[in-house]
This record gives sequence, C-alpha cells and structure tokens, in this order.
Amino acid sequence: MALLEIDRVSKRFGGLQAVSDVRFSIDERTITFIVGPNGAGKTTLFNLITGAVHPDEGHIRFDGADITHISPNRAAHIGIGRTFQIVKPLGGLTVLENVMLGAFMHTSSPSKAADAAREILNYLQMEKAMHVTARGLPLAMLKRLEIARALAIKPKLILLDEVVAGLPTAEALRLAELLQKLPARGVAAVGGVEHVMRVVMSIADRVMVLDHGAQIAIGKPEEVVRMPVVIEAYLGTKYKELGL
Amino acid sequence: MRRAHWLAAVAAVVLSLLVPLVVQTDYKLQVLFRIYLFASLGLAWNLVGGYAGQLSLGHAAYFGAGAYGLALFSGTLGMSPWLAVLAGVAGAMACALLIGGVSFRLRGPYFALSTIAFAEILRLTAKNLPGLTGGDVGVPVPALFHGNINRSFYWAAVALAALSFALTVVISRAKFGYYLMAIREDEDTALSVGIGAARNKLAALLISAALTALAGALYASIFLFIVPDQVLALDVSNEIAIVAMLGGAGTVLGPIVGSVVLETASEIFKNTFKEAHQLIFGVLLVFVVLFLPGGIVGTIAGLLRRSDIPGEGA
Repeated sequence: MALLEIDRVSKRFGGLQAVSDVRFSIDERTITFIVGPNGAGKTTLFNLITGAVHPDEGHIRFDGADITHISPNRAAHIGIGRTFQIVKPLGGLTVLENVMLGAFMHTSSPSKAADAAREILNYLQMEKAMHVTARGLPLAMLKRLEIARALAIKPKLILLDEVVAGLPTAEALRLAELLQKLPARGVAAVGGVEHVMRVVMSIADRVMVLDHGAQIAIGKPEEVVRMPVVIEAYLGTKYKELGL
Repeated sequence: MRRAHWLAAVAAVVLSLLVPLVVQTDYKLQVLFRIYLFASLGLAWNLVGGYAGQLSLGHAAYFGAGAYGLALFSGTLGMSPWLAVLAGVAGAMACALLIGGVSFRLRGPYFALSTIAFAEILRLTAKNLPGLTGGDVGVPVPALFHGNINRSFYWAAVALAALSFALTVVISRAKFGYYLMAIREDEDTALSVGIGAARNKLAALLISAALTALAGALYASIFLFIVPDQVLALDVSNEIAIVAMLGGAGTVLGPIVGSVVLETASEIFKNTFKEAHQLIFGVLLVFVVLFLPGGIVGTIAGLLRRSDIPGEGA
C-alpha cells in the first residue's frame, strides 16, 4: 500500500488554478522529486499535504487514513515532517534547541530531546554548530537545520521544499548524499526543485513534473527526462545544454 | 537550574522576608511592596508576552478581575476574604479563556490591539454598572491582613513574587517553556513540529491571568477601596508590560530587575516631576524598544555570551 496518495486534488486561489487534478502516490522509503519552476504549484502541493490549506476537490490519504482536512500540527503527529522554502528557523534559539523542539513530540524530557537532537545533528554533520543561535547561520546550514528539525519528529514522510535551491553545487551534492540515506532511516522524502539537476537525477526514485499546477509527467528520472512532453513543454533547450 | 542558582534564589527570598526587621517606616515598606508586586506582575506577563511572544497590553483585565473579585465576592456575596481572592482568580481565568479564545486568532499588532480593547470593555462596563461595581464612586475592599498591615502586605508580595519566579523557572526549563518560545519565534514552524499553538498560548495566558489576579487582589486590599480607572486602567496594563520589557522579556530575571529599576525610579520621579513622570515612562519605553530589545537582562546576557566559551546547553 502506498504511504501517501494524492487523488485528483485541485486547489484554486481566486483566479489562479494553483494545483489542478494532481494524482500520484508515494511508497514508503522512497525519494520523489517534484520538478517545476516558481509558481508551478509545488509549495501549494506541500501545503495541501500538511494541512496548511485544504483542497477544493480530491482526497489525500496518508498511511491508510484520509487527511484531506487535517490541521498542520496534527499532520506532524501522524508522521509528516516538512521544511519551508523560505527558511523558518526559530531564530532566537540555538541549533540544538531548534531540533529539540521536533524531538519533544516523543518525549517530555529536555535531556532526552537533546539526545535525540544530537543524533540527528550528527547525521546532518551539524554537530559543530549545535550551540550557535540559529539566526546567525549561513543559508546552507539553515537549509540543513530545516531538515534536522523536521526529522526530529521521526516522520514517515518528509517534504523538502526547495531544499537545494540557492546552494552552491558542491554543497548541494553533499546534501544530496545525506538525503540519499533517508530511506535507510525509514523516511520517505518528497522534494521540490526548480530544475532537473544532476543532484536530483542521482538520488530520486521517481520524478514528477508540474507545469502551471498540472501534472504533465511522472516516472523514473531517466524516463521522465526522455519524455517528449517534458522536453518540449517544459525543459526546452536548457536541458539539452546541460547534457544530462 | 543548577544547585547554586536555587540556593541563591532561596537566599534572596529569605533575605527579602527579613527586610522588615531593618526597614520599619510605612512609606519604605509600601515602596518595597510595590516593587515585589510589580515583579510578580512582570513575571506573570512574561509568560505570555516574553516566552510566548504575545504582546498583551490588556493585563489590567486580569488585575482588575482579581481586585473586583475580592471586593464583590466578599462584600456583596459575603464570602470570606481569602475565598473571595480565589473566586477572583477563577474570574480572571474565565476572562483569560474568553479573551485568549478570541485574541489568539489574531497575530502581531492585531493581537495587542484586541487585548487593549478587552481591558477597556471591562473598565467601561465596571464604570457603567454602579449597581454591581459601585461605578466611578468605587467599592470597598475587605482587609486581607490586620495589625501591622504594611509588613503583612510586604510579606505577601514577596511570597507572590517567589511563587511567580519559581513557576517561571520551572516552565522555562520544561517542554512547555520550549513550546512557548517556539511559538514566539515562528508559529508556522511550531505547528510543523506538532505544537498545538492555540492550546499552549491559552495555557500560558491562564497561568499568567491567575498570578495577575492574585496581585490585583493584594493591591486592592492594601488600598481598601477601588475604582475602575485605578485597577482596570490602561496605565496598569502598560506598567506591567514595561516592567517586563525594560528588565528583559523572555528572561527569568528580567521582570524582577525591571520592577526594581522602574518602581524605584518612579518613586523618585513622582516627587520631582509630578505627573510628568508618565512622560519619562514613555521615553524610557521607546529607548528600550529601539536600543535594548532584549531589555537590561537580555542585553547583559548577550554581552556575556559573546565573551564566553559556548557552554553545554539544556
């Protein structure tokens, strides 16, 4: 059974059809990337899954339960973690405290939450920044902090909104290497990216292409990039220049 | 908190309780009463305004509920005074439930404005219900203490400040305290890690309202007579918020430092500048907001941290 099922979901904001008749499913312990430019509907899709907004049509199921009208904090409790495209650190708190706040979902003890947070910070290679106030971190570290905090709730699914955007290639590759280990930790990941990047190609089990809110292709990365509809309607000549 | 900190806190409370052995003039005891009372009020406000970051400018509502609760439940309904204090606390918590239930749907300045509105509604209602509250003429308040009342009220204020301080320390180190800080820093992020923001803000406000009402009852009882423009006034709300912000919102010691500084200065200025001391409050607040956003304690802690080796957190 699929972990997450998006069933003919549509969402309109005034005159803008943000998401239109999207249907796909995610299996446990897999990595999926949703590709689409700014405004294609990726963030809206993530907001629909986490209950920040609710669909006009269609259903969303997670782990066997209908979550179409769930609230954001309930979504966290049933195992959906998320990061924000525009990073939202708890700026006045330290890196460790930021991650502890995720860990508090499973314990009331600050020392146990700190232990759990340290393990995740080690995994994301952030242990040296543990006692730094989050506000002072560079972007690359803030992106990792988003992931660390979301992982601390022990999610079954983590939604990574533009998690590599704005990062230098070397850092993006290092991060991809870490993300690749998520399935082994029991976590399925759905990432949103603007372009089909080498980073995505190497770690994605599946790629879904969004164009103006509509889903135009889904499949294995190497299949999707060969689909004429994707090349013509979306990737254009830029993709060929990259020579992927 | 490490053992040395607890010992220091206990020593401070014991020393405070011993002060009347040395200080015996009524005036000085009354000034000290006010310092401890506003320290309690600042600590109570700090849970909502500091830790949870919800700028309440209407704490006079709970202060007044405690004051009028004591006057009305005891005077009109004939309850024993201490029972009436508890009834006033319950009344303040009921107000908090209502005010929080509505105001916490709003964020930022809209929340602050709505808290002012609720406190003003209560003040105007009290002014215009002379049959119940005595209106502008006022209502007598039963004495909670007899004999050497200035000493007794002073001790009561010290006890309330100690209770507020202990609660603040416990909360700030517990999961609940972390949840409040997360809500302050970013409510969407708090929701994303499963924190019920509405529920936690309301819990903080209920505790804050209860402590504020206790202080309101003490204040009313030392005056023996209250009017709406005194205990439900915007001035009261402002002074409570300024005490906490001047000392350092979101810090454990801030409201205590703030009360010592502000109430001492206020006593001095009141005699020298008369009504103009309100102007000095205003200028002080602008100065703090612009140049010392962490307040006195927050700023000093920040300077110490910068020159210190990062310690082991949590």
